[in-house]
Amino acid sequence: MNFRRFIAGTILLALPLIAVRLVKQTTWGPILAAPPARQTGDPKAKVVIVEYSDFQCPSCAIVDPTAHKLLEVYKGKIRLIYKYYPLTKIHKNAMASAHAAECAAGQDQFWPYHDRLFQTQRAWADLQDPTTSFMAIAQEVKLDTAKFQTCYVDPAPIARIEADAQEAQAREVTATPTFFVGDERLVGQVFVTDGARTIEKELRQ
Amino acid sequence: MRIRPVEIIALLARVAVGSVLLYAGFLKALSPAAEFAAVLEAYKLFPSSLLTPLSIGLPYVEMWVGLFMLTGFCTRVAALAATILSCAFLTTVGSALLRGIDLAHCGCFGPQSLTPRHTMVLDVALLLFSMIVFRVAKLPPLLSLDRSIP
Repeated sequence: MNFRRFIAGTILLALPLIAVRLVKQTTWGPILAAPPARQTGDPKAKVVIVEYSDFQCPSCAIVDPTAHKLLEVYKGKIRLIYKYYPLTKIHKNAMASAHAAECAAGQDQFWPYHDRLFQTQRAWADLQDPTTSFMAIAQEVKLDTAKFQTCYVDPAPIARIEADAQEAQAREVTATPTFFVGDERLVGQVFVTDGARTIEKELRQ
Repeated sequence: MRIRPVEIIALLARVAVGSVLLYAGFLKALSPAAEFAAVLEAYKLFPSSLLTPLSIGLPYVEMWVGLFMLTGFCTRVAALAATILSCAFLTTVGSALLRGIDLAHCGCFGPQSLTPRHTMVLDVALLLFSMIVFRVAKLPPLLSLDRSIP
């Protein structure tokens, strides 16, 4: 191989590496404060986990028990913050379920409501109008149903949901669930296999 | 020197395949690797130990093959690599469709992706174009580094 061809090949191999290094975003946008109702675990915990999730996403329902288990195992060491990222293009009841959960958060019952939404996901996911299912969950977790109903028709909570979704997009989240354990990103069911290891790594730092 | 029509066709095919691979690889490389790993996981085809290396390495392989095709450097090798890549993409997406896996998008262009069916059409076109380039590039192709730096 002659020298000129060697140089040309080296330049062509190096170009993509340099271009990506120059353009790639390596820091993500800020995480906006979430209301205390949507946070669980120790408020002073060393490791903060931010979850971007969609109540109608099957993978989100699958990872939910893992999140509970990890909160139990790492009690006092981790804090979980829930952020809405309803994938409205593919999940028709994603926004309605997030709206209902935000109404539960308004009554400080976000987490029980969140758990029931995931546990009953198959029952309401394909409904034309899931309101009756969401009302039933509201009664089950002992919400003030009159307040819940008023909130559910009020568009104000939607603005908070959309703010979370915009934050997710700014942080280049494209799939749910996406977890940020400290700075490390875990997408999808990887959280089930790698969640504990990543928490351990963050705790060691 | 007289230019044969087949050389012009091969040049257009080379530019098309090169541009698509370069663009696809670049968009994927710019997105967080974990996002692409999650897309690969959804295909239920790869062992979990391969997901991270594939999600980091594949975008660069696409960019290198695309760049070599575009500039016409080691054109036959690049065309062969593009043919193999296209076959691999076709098999992956096709098998997901056959197994009834509900993929929201193929993950081919990072966050801006095609539906799996559109991807199949694109991959078939890439495969045909790559094979044309491979067949024609026995001699150094038109407007290529292979011709200017023999």
